[in-house]
This record gives sequence, structure tokens and C-alpha cells, in this order.
Amino acid sequence: MDPLFMAYSYFRRRKYKEAVDVCTQILERNPYDQAAWHLKTRALTNQVYVDEVEVDEEGLAEILMDDNVIANVSRPGTSLRGPAVKETSGPTQGVRPTSQGGRPLSGYVRPGTQSGRPGTMEQAIRTPRTAHTARPVTSASGRFVRLGTASMLSTPDGPFINIARINFSKYASRPTLAKGLFEYIFHHENDVRNALELAALATEACQYSDWWWKVALAKCYFRLGMYRDAEKQLRSALKSDEVIDAYLHLAKVYCRLDQPLAAIEVYTQGLKQFPGETTLLTGIARIYEGLGKMEEGVKYYKDVLKSDNMNVEAIACIATNHFYTDQPEMALKFYRRLLQMGVYNAELFNNLGLCCFYAQQYDMTLTCFMRALSLAEDDVVIGDVWFNIGHVALGICDIKLAYQCFRLALSHNNDHAEAYNNLGVLEMKKNHVEAARSFFQASFVMAPHLYEPHYNFAILADQLGDFQSSYLSAKRAVETFPDHVDSKELLKQLKEHFSLL
Amino acid sequence: MTENSDKWLDAYHDPVASLYTFTQCLTLSDIQADGDWKLIVADLGTGTYDMKLKVYKNTTLLSEHTIIDLPTGVVTFYMDTLTPRTPAIAVASGPYIYVYKNLRPYFKFTLPPLDIHPVEEDLWNQAKTDQVNILNMRDTLEAMRQEGASLTVRSIKLLQMETNNLQNFVNLHKNTPLKKQTVITCLSTMKKSVPDDDAISCLVLGTENKSIYILDPEAFTVLATVNLPNVPVFISVNGLFDVDYRIVVSCRNGCIYTLKRGSTDVTRNMIELNSQPVGMERVNKNIYVGCMDETLHCFTSKGKKLWTVRLPASITAMEAIDYKPKSFTAVIVALSNQEVHIYKEKYLVDVLKMDDVVTGMRFGRFGREDGTLVMSTKRGGLFVKILKRTAKFEEKDKLAGPPAAQNTKLNLPKKTKLFVDQTQREREQCVAMHRTFQRDLAQLRLKVLREYVKALDSSMNPISSDPMEPLKLSAHVQGIGPTFKFSVKLQNTSLTQSSSNLLITFDYDEHLYDFRKKLIQVPILVPGLTYSFDTFIDCKTDKGLSDNVKVYVLKPGKSIPLITGVVSMPVSESIVLV
Repeated sequence: MDPLFMAYSYFRRRKYKEAVDVCTQILERNPYDQAAWHLKTRALTNQVYVDEVEVDEEGLAEILMDDNVIANVSRPGTSLRGPAVKETSGPTQGVRPTSQGGRPLSGYVRPGTQSGRPGTMEQAIRTPRTAHTARPVTSASGRFVRLGTASMLSTPDGPFINIARINFSKYASRPTLAKGLFEYIFHHENDVRNALELAALATEACQYSDWWWKVALAKCYFRLGMYRDAEKQLRSALKSDEVIDAYLHLAKVYCRLDQPLAAIEVYTQGLKQFPGETTLLTGIARIYEGLGKMEEGVKYYKDVLKSDNMNVEAIACIATNHFYTDQPEMALKFYRRLLQMGVYNAELFNNLGLCCFYAQQYDMTLTCFMRALSLAEDDVVIGDVWFNIGHVALGICDIKLAYQCFRLALSHNNDHAEAYNNLGVLEMKKNHVEAARSFFQASFVMAPHLYEPHYNFAILADQLGDFQSSYLSAKRAVETFPDHVDSKELLKQLKEHFSLL
Repeated sequence: MTENSDKWLDAYHDPVASLYTFTQCLTLSDIQADGDWKLIVADLGTGTYDMKLKVYKNTTLLSEHTIIDLPTGVVTFYMDTLTPRTPAIAVASGPYIYVYKNLRPYFKFTLPPLDIHPVEEDLWNQAKTDQVNILNMRDTLEAMRQEGASLTVRSIKLLQMETNNLQNFVNLHKNTPLKKQTVITCLSTMKKSVPDDDAISCLVLGTENKSIYILDPEAFTVLATVNLPNVPVFISVNGLFDVDYRIVVSCRNGCIYTLKRGSTDVTRNMIELNSQPVGMERVNKNIYVGCMDETLHCFTSKGKKLWTVRLPASITAMEAIDYKPKSFTAVIVALSNQEVHIYKEKYLVDVLKMDDVVTGMRFGRFGREDGTLVMSTKRGGLFVKILKRTAKFEEKDKLAGPPAAQNTKLNLPKKTKLFVDQTQREREQCVAMHRTFQRDLAQLRLKVLREYVKALDSSMNPISSDPMEPLKLSAHVQGIGPTFKFSVKLQNTSLTQSSSNLLITFDYDEHLYDFRKKLIQVPILVPGLTYSFDTFIDCKTDKGLSDNVKVYVLKPGKSIPLITGVVSMPVSESIVLV
């Protein structure tokens, strides 16, 4: 068989390693075989290829030293930064827990849904920076460092293409080769500067008519943090050709510039051209979710399901919303759908268990949790499952069991602030004041975004007669959850107390 | 600014009019008989001097007269039958009534002097001829005061003085004849014989010596005197002097008396209040009284209590509305929370939000507009509002009944069909479900206990469960690498027990990390305090790998750690060489 044909076959079957090996053999025989060279670059690229639109975790440096910020305090409902605005639809913080950034938890873990924006450098560095939650220092390092180094490891006798010695202008004039080369430099070598140079030359060579190169330029600009330039390129690309990719990238640029409403506009514009396009719909839904407008977000997720009824993200998010809006039986149905689709992991069983419990299907509840425990590999997930079992134990009034479950949650995940808080409450019930106090303290030091430990601590201090601490704590609780009635009541009581002579 | 209302027009506002006045000292009248009604204000000035009688024509000051003493009331009344029908202005101030006609001083009426206590008179007569020791005189006066005798102003002043000033004071005043005068507390008018708008009116005034006087407008003689059990403060009159009249007087002791023509026993028709009255208005047959305890009461003229409304703040002024074109009658109550409430019967029909506390109000015709509300405020502002002709006061209580929030429908999710189906299943298979749950629960308990014991045995817990060593550990990593700061916080959670002789050590992959301090000796831990121990870690790899690090708290002589903390390290940033 023709080795090149075989390489193509491997490539199509996504056996990239084999494809690369075959190509290397061909190239050893004839170093100037352009077809083999091109195939090898593509195979190498696809090995490490990540969808550029999806993965976007903002780094510490981008957040703290953001030079695109115009106003420190944005108008409510127009920013993804800072806590969600008051006039959100859907359940409050008291019902639906929030992420660190003060936004409602999403039903689907994506980059940027877990950790919020830290307010200060100290907070950014200090917040439990584990392998699970840590941000990369800049988006130019972190994941991209790993990608770059991975390529170096796989080729012991030096890199496949020595970029420093490539004559870009030669390749730029040959569009077929240039595109492959660009992707290789951008994704495999992670050398944005050279990729940008190539893209610039290639755009010039095709007389600014190819949208692909404009998007490529925008990708480079985006990676370099030059968002306005990226925006310009994408707008220009959209003028000549309407492509989904450009729309997605443009919306991403607006999100990074913290203009979610502009991003939604871009998505809707895209939807006019490509009605029912799930990526665009999902984009809108995500932004609404981030803005705290759950109802709107769910509407778009439902639209996604109309076009693609296997979309895991949409199903998961709708299920979560149903769960937190007091319809666990509906959530259960959606999660069962996920299970039928072949999603089989600890998180799903955990959610199924919770839904069963709250929908009063008790016979399934504990089985689901047991399954979740046996499936969980990650300590953090095990911790979460134990925490939820603890809630079930509280539901059946078995305080001792609940206590043990929370302790187990902590032994698996030392940073489980919610478990600390619940343990504190249990200790408080037992009149172990000192222990309760230290648990609450641990809880709010670990998770400053929770209002519960602050409030509980305030209650405890109030009972002990330490009104000053109680007042300060209650104030912090109100800061994190401005609508918390109990904290406000406590504050009012304390204020009255202070004003008495 | 005041909020936009669909009932009131903002005709004029001057927040710096520097008026210091109250409801009693405000009046609206057509004093030039030209159909253009003026606002007459007795301004209290600074409260000690600079008292003025001001007349506003529309919003401009028409004239100003100085008043010698603090004014206590202003009314206008027709004192003759001459045309044009210009009413006179009467200003009550101290024991005098100053009457102005055509904006010129016309007459000064002095209240008849009161009888002086014979002992006091005797004392001063003796003092005139230096027959009495001043100190003795003072002691006698003081004894009289103690007994409750009412003294002259001069004697009271004497009692207030220091001993060394007494002689001078007595020398200065002893030659002038001793007079005892009272002070007017409230002022009103009453038509004399015909009920026309421009009929001749009598002045009705209440005084500090617990009396009501009715004065003849032409001759300024006292037509009638009524004695009250207490000092009158608010007075309300209707009827005709020559025919029949009723005077409702509220007194400082919290009682309201009704005086009728010809009757002398005032206590027969008496209303007792729970608190001191701060305002009284009479609308038709009802008497509205605002009290110091933030309540508004309504009584019939017979003295029967109809209702009580509790107000959100204390009352500063009250005024009745009688808007004839719409036959709208109500009571306006100004409150100390800068609001003005309008009550029609017991229903709150409107609330005006002002930006200052209103101290004086008058509703009536001003300029050529019938329904005008003139208000003076605490900071000296003057506000004029006109009742819109389209204004409709709904006779519905804004407060009574269920609050508005109760009627808004809550966004509760409906119970789905699915839920109903599931409850059906629950009902049918309750026994099986319960059994399964109990079996699973037993299994779960077993599993929890096993895991718990395992965790205890290996001390894989950041909280100690050993009652002898109640400790809590938390560990944090700071920094972005390759060097991290690792801080361990230890807290003794017991109340009394201190723990000592502890060590901290770490368990880590030696290929990945290097701890600068491998062992930390822990000093004695005092209960309740949090101790922090720090060390630096160097990450040896630049491959983007990370691992968990365990922190052990050890006690010498024990094979397993007391408590363990697990920290998953962040991915280290590699050193950037520039």
C-alpha cells in the first residue's frame, strides 16, 4: 500500500501517532515531500489540538492587571465581574449556592465557572490554590506551557520544524501549506509571535480577502492580549464572510473585555445567519447564566436541546435549574436522560441521589450515593459526595451520622468550607462553643464567598455576648449576601442594643 | 424635592424664607377686599427678638410690622360694617391683642388685670416704704409659691434672683404699681349675630389664668368670661354669640371641654385623653385631636370616641381641610418624619413627602386659588401647594386591610404531573420503598463507620477526635512558584486544656518538592488561639506537574500522627529567564 495513503487513513481514524510515524518514514526517504510534510504537521497539531473558542481561563495577571477596565464599578447587569446583580431571575443565594465570584453555581463545569474574580492580589494568591482550583498566572502560561513542553518531550531528536529558520514569506504565498504550518506553530509549538508573523504575511499575500487568516490573526492578537486588534480583525472577517468561528471568537473577545451584552448581540447576529446553531445558543445561555439571569439562560439551553437533544451541557444546566427551583422530579428526569446517554460518573450519581432524596424517591437515594462513592476517584469529589450524604443524614434526623459524614468529607477534602460550617452548626447544637467557633472561622477563612459561616459565627458570638464580633460578622454576611433577612435582623437587633444606654 | 403627586401642584417653594412660625400664627385672608387673598404670618423671629407680622401677596412680601413680644396667634375678623369689607388683623402677644386695620396699627387691647394676692400686695407696699427685710420678703413669697398661690411676674422674677441682686431689683421696681397680667395662649373668632362670611365677629381667647374671654369687636369690652379647670391651649369655635355657640377647648391637662352659651359647668362635657394634645381640629361634628403619643383620635361633639389612628411619627402640626367646591373635608397632620398625612375620616388618603419638618400649615384660599395649602417648615422654609381640581381622594385606607405584597402572586413552581405520578408510586409501593431505604441506610451506616474508623486510625483528618488533644489544622499554600510559602495553622479547640510537645512534619515527593524546614517544633498551644507556622517549598520540576503534600502533627511516643492535613499543590510556574 502506498505509505502516504496509509498515513492519510491513520489520520482520518485519528491514529495520529501512527500517522506521524509513517510520515516520518516517508520524509526520511524524501525530505521534500510536501504532502507528507503537510500531513505530519497536521497530525502533530491534532494530537494537541484544543478548541480555541472553548478553553479560556483568565489568568491572575489578566484579572488583576487588567488594562481594559474603564470603570471600577460597572452598571448593574452589564458586567460578568463582581457579584450578580439583585434583579436576577431565579432563586436567591439562600437557595442556590454561589461560586467564589458570587455567581450562582452552574450545572456544568467550564473554565471560569468555579473560581470567581479575586478582589486583591493577596486574595488571588491565597485562596486555596490547589491543582483543581488554581488559576494560571497568565493565560500565556499554565495550560499552554504544558502543551508546549509536551511536544518537546515526544520528539527526542529535536523539533520537527525549526521555526527560527523558516522563511515565512515563502510559505505565506502558498496558502495550503501555510494554514497547516500556522496551526502547527500556534497549537503545537505555542509560539504566538511567529504564528502572528506568518498570519500577517499570509493575509497580505491573499490581499486581505481570506477570512481564515483574519480569524487566525485575531486568535494571535487575543492570545497576546490585544483584544481591540482582535476585534478589528474579526469584524473585518465577518464583513466578507459570515462564519460561525468568527462570531464565536468575537463574542469571546467581548466577554474578555467584560461586555457581555455586546457578546450577546454578536451571538444573536450570528443566529440570524445560522439559526439553531448550538454553539451560538450555548454561548448566549452561558452569558445569561453568568449574569445571574437563570430564566433567560434556561430558555436558550432549551433552544439548544431543540436542535441537539444530546447536548450534555444544556441538559445538565436545565437539570440544575430545576433542582434549585424546587422541582427535583424534573431534574431527576434530565439527569436520567444523561445517564441513558452514557454519562456514567460519580458527579451524575451524586446528583441523581440528591434529586431522588428531595423528590421523595427514597428507595433509590442511597443506592445512587453508594454508586457515586464507588465511582469517585478524586478526593474532592468523594468529599462532596460525603457532604451530600451528610445532608441526607440531617434530613432523616440522624445527627450522629451527619457528623460522621461531614468529618469524612473533611478528611477527603481538607478545604471543604461548607462541611466546616455544617460541623460548626452541629457543634453549636451540642454546646461545644469553642469547637463551633473554630469551625466557623476555618470555614470563612477558606471560602470568603459563603455567607453562612459569617452568619452562624455572628449568632454564636451574639449568644456569647461578644456583640462586637457578632456585629462585624453579620456585616460580612450581608456583604456577601445583601438580601439575607436573618443577618439584617441580627444587625438591627445589635444596632438597637448598641444605641441603648 | 417633594415627590410628584397627582393631587397637589407645587405652586411655590422657598426653603430659605426664614420664617419661624406655627399653625396658630398663620392665616389667610382677603384683607384688602380685592378678592386677592393674602397670607398673614406672625413670625417669631429668632424667638427672643425680631418678631414680625408679615403679609404676603402671592409670593411677595407686601408689608412688615414689628411686634414687641412673641406672637401666640393671628386671626382676621370684621369689626365693623363699613365698605369695602376689609377685615382687621388681630395679633395676640403677651397680655395684649394688637389690631391692625388696612395694614396699619389700629388698636391695642389689654387683658383686664387680675387680682393680686393680698399678702403679696402687702409685701410690696411694705417694700415701697422699706418696712420689710428683703430676705424675709423673699421667704414669704417662696412660702406662698410653695402653697400654690399665683404670684405676679415681678415676684416670680424676684424669687429667681441671686441674693446680692435682690436689693437693686426691689429698689428699681418698688415704686411702680404692682400689676398682675396674664398671657394669651390661644385665639379664635366667632360670628356675633349673623352667619355671613363677612359678618362682624367676636374674638375668643384663652389665657394662662385658665379663662376664656369673648371680646366685643367694636367696643373691645369683655362680653363673656368662662373659667376652666386648666390652661387652654387649643380652641375651636362655632355658632353665633348672640344665638348659640359651642367652644371646644383642649387644655394642658389632657382634657377637652365643651363650652356652651349660658352654661357654666364645663366639666359636664369633658373628654379625657391619654396624652397631652398637640393639635385639635373640628370638622363638622367631629373633633380630631392629635396627641403626644403619636396618635390621632376622633371624638363626636358629645365626647364619644370614634376611632384612633397610630401615626408613624410624632405630630408637629394639624390643620383641617374644608374644600367647598368638592365638599371635601379632611384633616392634615404634619409629622416629624417630614411627611404630611391627609386623613379623611380615619382613612389615610394621601401622603406628602417634604424635605423638612412642617411646623405650621394653613389650608384655604390664597391669591385667587381656593384650595391652597401653605406650610412653613422647621428650617424656615415656606411651601405653597395647590390642590388639583382633578384630585380624587379615594376613601380607601392606604394601610388597612392586607398589605399589597400579600396580593402579589409568588412565583411558585407548579407541581408537575411527574410529581403527581411519583406520589402515586409512593402511595402504592410505600412498604417496599421504606424497606429498601432502611436496608440501604443500614448499609450506609456500616460503610460510614468503617470509613470513619479508617480515617481515625490513620488520623487522616484535619480535626482531632482525641479528647486529650483537641486540635484543628488548616494548611494553605501561597505563591505562584517555583517557591511557595506553606503555612500551617494550628488551633487548640478545647476550652481549658493546653497541648504541648507537638511536632509538625511533611510528607511529599522528594523528586518534586523540597521543604526548607522539614520539621517544625510547636510551642505550647493555649486554648482558643490560632498559631501559624510557615515554611518555604521549592518546586524542583518545570514540567507542570503537581502532587499532594501531607502535613502531619505528631506527638513523640505515638506511632500515628494526631492529625493530618492534605494539600494539593498548585502547578508551579516555571522560572522565566529574561
